Formats: sequence, structure tokens, C-alpha cells
Amino acid sequence: MYADICQLLNIQYPIIQGAMAWISDSSLVSAVSNGGGLGVLATGHLDGEGCRAEIRRIRELTDKPFAVNIMLLSQFADDIAQVVCEEHVPIVTTGAGSPGKFMPAFKEAGIIVLPVAPSVAIAKRMEKDGADAVIAEGCESGGHVGKITTMCLVPQVVDALHIPVIAAGGIADGRGMAACRMLGASGYQIGTRFLVAKECTVHPNYKARVIKAKDIDTTTTGQSTGHPVRVIRNRLAREFEALEKRAASAEELDALGRGALRRAVKDGDMDYGSVMCGQIAGLVTKEQPAKEILEDLYQDYLRVMSETTK
Amino acid sequence: MNFEKIRDIIAEQTGKDAEEITMETSVKDDLEADSLDLFQIINDIEDEFDIKIEDVENIKTVGDVVKLVDELSQK
Repeated sequence: MYADICQLLNIQYPIIQGAMAWISDSSLVSAVSNGGGLGVLATGHLDGEGCRAEIRRIRELTDKPFAVNIMLLSQFADDIAQVVCEEHVPIVTTGAGSPGKFMPAFKEAGIIVLPVAPSVAIAKRMEKDGADAVIAEGCESGGHVGKITTMCLVPQVVDALHIPVIAAGGIADGRGMAACRMLGASGYQIGTRFLVAKECTVHPNYKARVIKAKDIDTTTTGQSTGHPVRVIRNRLAREFEALEKRAASAEELDALGRGALRRAVKDGDMDYGSVMCGQIAGLVTKEQPAKEILEDLYQDYLRVMSETTK
Repeated sequence: MNFEKIRDIIAEQTGKDAEEITMETSVKDDLEADSLDLFQIINDIEDEFDIKIEDVENIKTVGDVVKLVDELSQK
């Protein structure tokens, strides 16, 4: 069911900035929210108090709505869910699992809940659990990925659900947004394009690598661990591929990956860091202020919609 | 009774033979089901028995599923 996401979330553009661990911190989140989109704080790398500090920093920088993402595989997920309620965060997104057990607390705190779903069955479950909308994320996205493409997942989730569906994965311009609107989406989550925002505090090497990336530059690693990730193919990714070819255990694979994202984001290690990135990176060509990215995206979307439906 | 229905749903989703599936069968190791497969199986079982299974994360064996279904469908 199509719905006005801007009204639901009280934002100007129907654009949500995807949470990216170590990357979408208070600086990026507040810039996106100030620019008229929904900034989303990543907490996969934070504990409860770290999350609380970032939430308070965001509130110093913006009075617009923002969201906190809860990475459900994190050992601190319970703490973060509690902090989010205590700090009266207006909107929560969740990843890597189903937030069922937190739903009663969120609903009691009046929080709008937008879980990310990689399949129809999981999306249906989230609707039953009381989600306000679902983010159907295809495997074109960077970071943790499911198995199905945005093109195929979005219309199937739209058919299966009554609540609105936000599309994610492979969107970096107005064409991607318009395409997802055709598939039935009410809103659009975008990650890779916001990674190169001026206000994003990721290492300059990382931004440069994403800007340089071509269509075929990413790969997914770790399928055998059950939680694969999409990254730019570099030396680390090739080591993963070699390990998986000789059927290494999930423990060995997880050990190789430990600390790798931090190396990429903070130290700028493009060879042995985990350079998480979406397949659409080839369309991302310059660093811009978040506000300008949002305006470009929305104007482009309007232009595409009016030109193709003449 | 419940076991047979559950076994057949699992067999259909995973492509395994029903005869290979027992109460001790491990979802992750024997059935090679990942989290997407598991949620699909749980979804189909919930529809079949008209129940809601809350604690999906702790399911390790087919026996765990049968136990949950037995408990919930008695209510």
C-alpha cells in the first residue's frame, strides 16, 4: 500500500539515509536530517552509553527527526534498544534480524519502527509484530546483504503487505527512486551515495575509493557464515574468497574479518580493510554536502517521473 | 500428528526427503537452512497451525519446532 512517508516520518523528502556502522555518526545523521531527509545513526559498533552520547550530540546539531538503527546481531542490541526508549528517539530502523522482542517496548515509547527485511516471509512477520513500514532491501546494497535483488524483492513485499514499503539497495539517483516507485515503494533508503557526503567523517581514502568504483567492483564475501557482506574487491576480499574455496570454517572467516571495517573507515586501509559499498557505486562520482545530495536526488526524481510518464 | 505436517513443510522448503528428517535433525547443519530459509519455514508453519512462534532464534532442531507447535496449538 502506497503511503505518504514524509507525513509518517515528518520529513521533507521521502529519503532515508541507510545506517552504516562506523560511518553514519552524529555528523552525517544531523546533516541529512537538516537537509530534509531522515538521518539514521548506526550503532553496530557502539555500546549503550556510546549510543546515548551520539543521540545527545545529534540533538545539539539538529531539531529535525532522526532515527537510530539497531544491529540485531550486536552483543549490545538489548542495551541500545533500552537507551533508544529512554532517550525518546522518534524512529528506529533495525537490521540483521527481526526486532519482535523489542516491539512492545518500542510501541509503548511511541517509537515509529521501520525494520529492514531481506525476504517476503520476514517482512510479513515484521508487519504482524507491529512495524509501521518495512524497508525491503535488495542485495545490491553494501554491507550485510540478503539473497534477492531490489527489483524482485520490492514488488513481492509490496504485494504481501498492507503497510508501506521503503525500497533499499542500488539507489543513487532519481532514476533509481522512480524505478522503485514503479515497483510500489513509498520511500527510498540510500547508503552509498551518502557515504561521500561532505559531512561524512569516513577516511578520505574510502570516499575516493567509492568515487572511483565501477559497476563490477564489488563482491559478496562470507556466504558460508550465514551473514554475507558486500564489499569492494580488494586484497582482503580475495583472501576471503580463497578461504571459502577451501571450505574454511565460519570461525576462521569471522577471525579474518574482525576489525576490518574499522581499518577501512578510520585508518583508510583500502587493501586489507573491509570497504563496504553498494553495487551502485559506479554512479557515485563526487563529494557533496548532504543537503545538496538530497536536493539533487529529489529534483532528479521529479524530472524522471515527468519525462517518462508523458 | 504435528510432526508429520511439520516434517513435510520442512522437506518442501529445503528440498530434502521427508524420510531423512527426524526430531534430532539440525536445522543449520543437517538441513543447511540459513536464516531466510528458517523464517520461510516458520512462516508456513504459523499459517498451517494458526499460531505465532516468538522465539525463532533459539530453534536448533526439528524437535524444537515440534515442541513449540505442540505448546502453542494447545492454547
